[in-house]
Amino acid sequence: MTRMTIPIGPQHPMLKEPLSFLLTVEGEQVVDSALRIGYVHRGIERICQNRNYIQNVHVVERVCGICSHIHTTTYCQGVEALLGLQVPPRALYLRTLLCELERIHSHMLWLGVLAEDIGFTTIFMYAWRDREIVLDIMEELSGGRVAHAVNVIGGVRIDVDEAQVDSILARLDELERQIETLLGVIQHERTFQVRTRGVGHLSAEQARRYCVVGPTARASGVDVDMRRDAPYAAYDRLDFRVITAEEGDVWARTLVRVQETIESLHMCRQLLAGLPQGVLTVRAPRRVPPGEVVSRGEAPRGELVYYIRSDGSDRPARVKIRTPTLTTLITLPDQLRGATTADVPAVLAGVDLCIACADR
Amino acid sequence: MNDWLSALFALFIFPGFGFLFVCALAFQWIDRRVAARLQGRIGPPWFQPLADFIKLMAKEDILPTGAHEWACAALPIVSLAAVLTAALYIPPSFPPIGGEEGGGWAASAFEGDLIVVLFLLSIPALACFLAGWLSVSVYSIIGGNRSLLQYFSYEVPFLMALSGPAILSGSWSISRIAAQQSQTAWMVFVQPLGFLLATVGLIGKLKRVPFDIPKAKSEIVAGPLTEFSGRKLALWHLTLHMQTVVGIFLLVNLFLGGCSIGLVVPATLVFGVKAVLILLALSVASVLYARLRIDQLASLGWRVLAPLALAQILIIIWIGVA
Repeated sequence: MTRMTIPIGPQHPMLKEPLSFLLTVEGEQVVDSALRIGYVHRGIERICQNRNYIQNVHVVERVCGICSHIHTTTYCQGVEALLGLQVPPRALYLRTLLCELERIHSHMLWLGVLAEDIGFTTIFMYAWRDREIVLDIMEELSGGRVAHAVNVIGGVRIDVDEAQVDSILARLDELERQIETLLGVIQHERTFQVRTRGVGHLSAEQARRYCVVGPTARASGVDVDMRRDAPYAAYDRLDFRVITAEEGDVWARTLVRVQETIESLHMCRQLLAGLPQGVLTVRAPRRVPPGEVVSRGEAPRGELVYYIRSDGSDRPARVKIRTPTLTTLITLPDQLRGATTADVPAVLAGVDLCIACADR
Repeated sequence: MNDWLSALFALFIFPGFGFLFVCALAFQWIDRRVAARLQGRIGPPWFQPLADFIKLMAKEDILPTGAHEWACAALPIVSLAAVLTAALYIPPSFPPIGGEEGGGWAASAFEGDLIVVLFLLSIPALACFLAGWLSVSVYSIIGGNRSLLQYFSYEVPFLMALSGPAILSGSWSISRIAAQQSQTAWMVFVQPLGFLLATVGLIGKLKRVPFDIPKAKSEIVAGPLTEFSGRKLALWHLTLHMQTVVGIFLLVNLFLGGCSIGLVVPATLVFGVKAVLILLALSVASVLYARLRIDQLASLGWRVLAPLALAQILIIIWIGVA
């Protein structure tokens, strides 16, 4: 059968961010694929070296448009460790609250994108409509829908009062009802299952070998979660389950992410109920003593690593950002081999790529 | 003179181009609006389909280098012409007074026009394949291949399902099948399975969700129509929307008794209500499902739909003999 090369990207209706895949197909079957990234490389790590630590909070917030808060959290955590600062508990709780709200919004966005890519427009519309609830909450808390600018070195700059807590809790209940409905649709709609089951399979062994992290790894049966394995912020004070699945296909990834969303809702409730009183920030000096630190956090897509080295000035000597998407990108040629062209969108959407994160 | 005028009226106004054009826009609007409401959106205003059409007609018309220009210009016109010709044999109403014996107010009718109509309605699918093949883009080539594969999957059960009413009423004229039902029972009650299969086949023919495989935008951009723009694209869209109207009218005539006379309400209104009901069913189906893969559709078509259609026909023949 004749071979054909199909370009997917850098511009393609399926892609929300630029990325290029050259698929070699025989008929409808993908036999090979070549990946190119770097279309949205902005040199953020270099920019960080030219700005001081405080300015960098706003720089790293712009690494990603979806998970901006976890970037600043992980960065601030690293700098605070270098400075030896004790962040007040109320600030830790609020940071964690935003992290979990962000995870909900990211997972619902992902569900919509996946549904759209397998041609299920209705779930796309419902997921994105309900996602507005959590976006509204975040906007009320911080003033921004996706770029929240909540973290400062040594604490947070936002606070909540009793009335806000009650209103958020009420809306979280509403959101949970909607997510339960979506979960029911996904579990019972056969066309959704025939399009996702057995597609983009990644075994636990492959996931470990490629160092895959986050929900993609958990859907392959690799039980990793930074929130439990290396608790940061207020996660050691929370009670939550780490959702895993064994199948390792897009279907398992869907179930893991949707159930994680519900788990995140429970965590938000715990955080709001147990919010400690106290100050929101401690004073941080501008100059950071020499040293280096590795700071880790669980982004919606998996483990996020910041390496920061200080030479004693007010600017970092090096900031290295390792995002979870990078680990999933390299598994894609394996997942695509043998798939049909119709499965390509499901595979690419299934691992929840964030190209801006990966390119930085 | 009078014959000429009435022939021109039938061709261009009712039930010809003008009527179909208005129906195509109206059906498209109802479809988009209903789907939007079901998905929690508002949907477009009533003039949106017309605005879209005018906008596309006014847009620049470009083709990539290497595309077969002559064929790419001819194919949308040929498929639109095929659909319009098919419409001439499908009566949307009875004549107000008198009219020929047993026939509705189709522009034309003869014994065997059902077969001609089915042939004409399959031309757009083949034109789509050719358009994909001749417009030199990998997406359109794959889309063209898919539309041909899809054609082989839905067409056989669709044809078998539609031949059910013809066999039972002993006539292959659409007008006569419709007229006969107004005296006996609607075919949908006699052959509910056949009606269901025909509707599913129609969804495949119209490339609607969940069978929108040839134009799956997240996979192959716009399938065979990827490289089309401007007037040619407008004509393709118009063809598709008119095909929707004609396909639904065909089902109403064959299964829902066309427009039954003897009621107080005007026959055309009754016919319109039946047609919109089928349209609503199609809209709801498009909201309920995810897109299938082409291999899944082929297996559905040959393993499920075709045997069912065959069983339906055998039952009809058995009833006819007994």
